[in-house]
Amino acid sequence: MTAILQPGFWVFILTMSGIYGIFTLGLQVQYGVGGILNFGHVGMMALSSYTMAILVIAHGFNFWIAAASGVAVAALGGAFLGLTTLRLRGDYFSIVSIAFSEIVRYVIFNSDGLTGGAQGSLAIMPIGDAYPSYTDTWDTILYWIRDHLTPIFGEIADRDMAMGILVWITLGILLFIVSRVERTSWARVLRATREDDDVPSALGKNVFRFRLQAVIIGSIIGGIAGIYWALQVTLLSPDDFLTIVTFYAWMILILSGATKVKGLAIAAIFFGFLYGGTRFFTFWPFSFFDSSQRSYMRIMIIGIVLIVLMIRRPQGIFGKREEMVLE
Amino acid sequence: MNNLILEVNDVAVAFGGIKAVNGATMSVEVGSVTSVIGPNGAGKTTLFNLISGATKPDSGTILFQGFEIQKLLPHKIAGRGIVRTFQGAKVIKRLSVLENLMLGAQNNPGDNLINFFNPRARNAFEKQARDHAMALLKQVGIERFANDYAGILSGGQRKLLDLARALMAEPVMLLLDEPFAGVNPTLVEKLLEVLHALRTEHHLTFLLVEHDLETVMNISDRVVVMAEGQVIADGLPNSIYENQAVVDAYLGTRKLK
Ligand SMILES: Nc1ncnc2c1ncn2[C@@H]1O[C@H](COP(=O)(O)OP(=O)(O)OP(=O)(O)O)[C@@H](O)[C@H]1O
Ligand SMILES: [Mg+2]
Repeated sequence: MTAILQPGFWVFILTMSGIYGIFTLGLQVQYGVGGILNFGHVGMMALSSYTMAILVIAHGFNFWIAAASGVAVAALGGAFLGLTTLRLRGDYFSIVSIAFSEIVRYVIFNSDGLTGGAQGSLAIMPIGDAYPSYTDTWDTILYWIRDHLTPIFGEIADRDMAMGILVWITLGILLFIVSRVERTSWARVLRATREDDDVPSALGKNVFRFRLQAVIIGSIIGGIAGIYWALQVTLLSPDDFLTIVTFYAWMILILSGATKVKGLAIAAIFFGFLYGGTRFFTFWPFSFFDSSQRSYMRIMIIGIVLIVLMIRRPQGIFGKREEMVLE
Repeated sequence: MNNLILEVNDVAVAFGGIKAVNGATMSVEVGSVTSVIGPNGAGKTTLFNLISGATKPDSGTILFQGFEIQKLLPHKIAGRGIVRTFQGAKVIKRLSVLENLMLGAQNNPGDNLINFFNPRARNAFEKQARDHAMALLKQVGIERFANDYAGILSGGQRKLLDLARALMAEPVMLLLDEPFAGVNPTLVEKLLEVLHALRTEHHLTFLLVEHDLETVMNISDRVVVMAEGQVIADGLPNSIYENQAVVDAYLGTRKLK
């Protein structure tokens, strides 16, 4: 019970919330605006983080170039997924997207020479005899920030707090940009395609192009989340990219009200606390269960909260009810 | 014969066993009003779907301004100036009435993501398009709903929205699938005036499906009669009444007053 009292734990929760928030923002563009159901979003995170890690560790790339390459590979992943399935009916995209992220994870798991396989990024063969780390450049920044935070926060200021601040600044910037993008006529066309293809097509809009662009933009944002994920966990494992991660993002999106970005940050924090906080449900009646059982219960509790929310507020915390229920 | 804007040559399409359009041939003259009539299930809407590219023909060719368009995707055909409305009207329910119209604006720089970084061009276009859209809404008499979700509109109001949205797309040729069905008579009069003005001022060409024979006879330069997927007659409005096949298939014993 002591961890709950430590500020470090809450900083950790906030940081993870922020990363999940970025990750979910990618889905928001795809689903909230374009009505595209992507269940393989975590695959983009896997592609960007592993690309970055491999380029830095095994090929000695500059971190920034590696990170940009990672995001570019996630974008390519989205383009590939979109080009192959977006011309088909919507449900095909959803099904193939799950398969896509599972294939990415499977390939990572089984490509020991390239990705370190089951042992994760620690087992990537480093260039020379360096330690297989990809966080050095980033750590320099984090420690610089920490040193400037110490006079304000005292000893609470640490690497994690610096990380949390950068994550939330990034989320803030991305939220701002995306909310602007969603006010363009591009987004208006995409919103139309959410309901119907015939009308926008008959008005000269290439529905496929709009959808493909939405998927790629969402993948780029998912890729950015992947870079932050990698920097936060400091060593990658294929298990970081299970399909459940995509569903966590779906939970956040539904909580926030998919059609608007404004509730997303709060929903992400809500999810973070639910996810992290349920760890402390050690009191009766939860005391009957051991910790692995409790971790399953955590997912159940999150599920129950979601069900209740969807019944009471189908539009999410901040969504517009009409936009959800108009038929 | 280069005053033909549209030529449909021996076009056929089948859905499963149903030959919805079965070797239809017809044409439309530049600047004319051509009406397609015929019994329910004759293939009129399917013909529109073929012309607008929503359905691909199994055989036959469709020429618009001399270019073959039967293989083009719908948005390409729309880009060439063929804009349609839908039987029963289709509106995007979760966009506002005004936003529905704005969808029709052509060459909107804001549709291109690159122009996200060019807000000046985007905003200037939006402003102009919005003014145009409001004027069109006024013309069809639904401007008071501009900022409501289109999903709240009644059936007739949706038709008006569908029509205004098609006009927003600056068509060269308008395909109207039963534009007046379910619209009250005084408004039909008004819409006819609007269409007439478009025709004289902008030289629009109209192809329409309509069941109300009186309206058809009054506004059409030519009438095409379809039955069972084929064109069974094509001529001046009055000649239709003298055609025995048409009387048998569609008109029955009714007479124009
Ligand atoms: N997508 C489709 N799949 C299967 N059959 C179809 C399809 N579209 C049209 N049909 C069939 O093709 C035939 C012609 O339909 P169409 O809608 O073109 O008739 P219409 O002349 O417009 O009739 P109405 O006056 O009732 O609107 C009908 O028998 C219809 O059932
Ligand atoms: Mg019809």
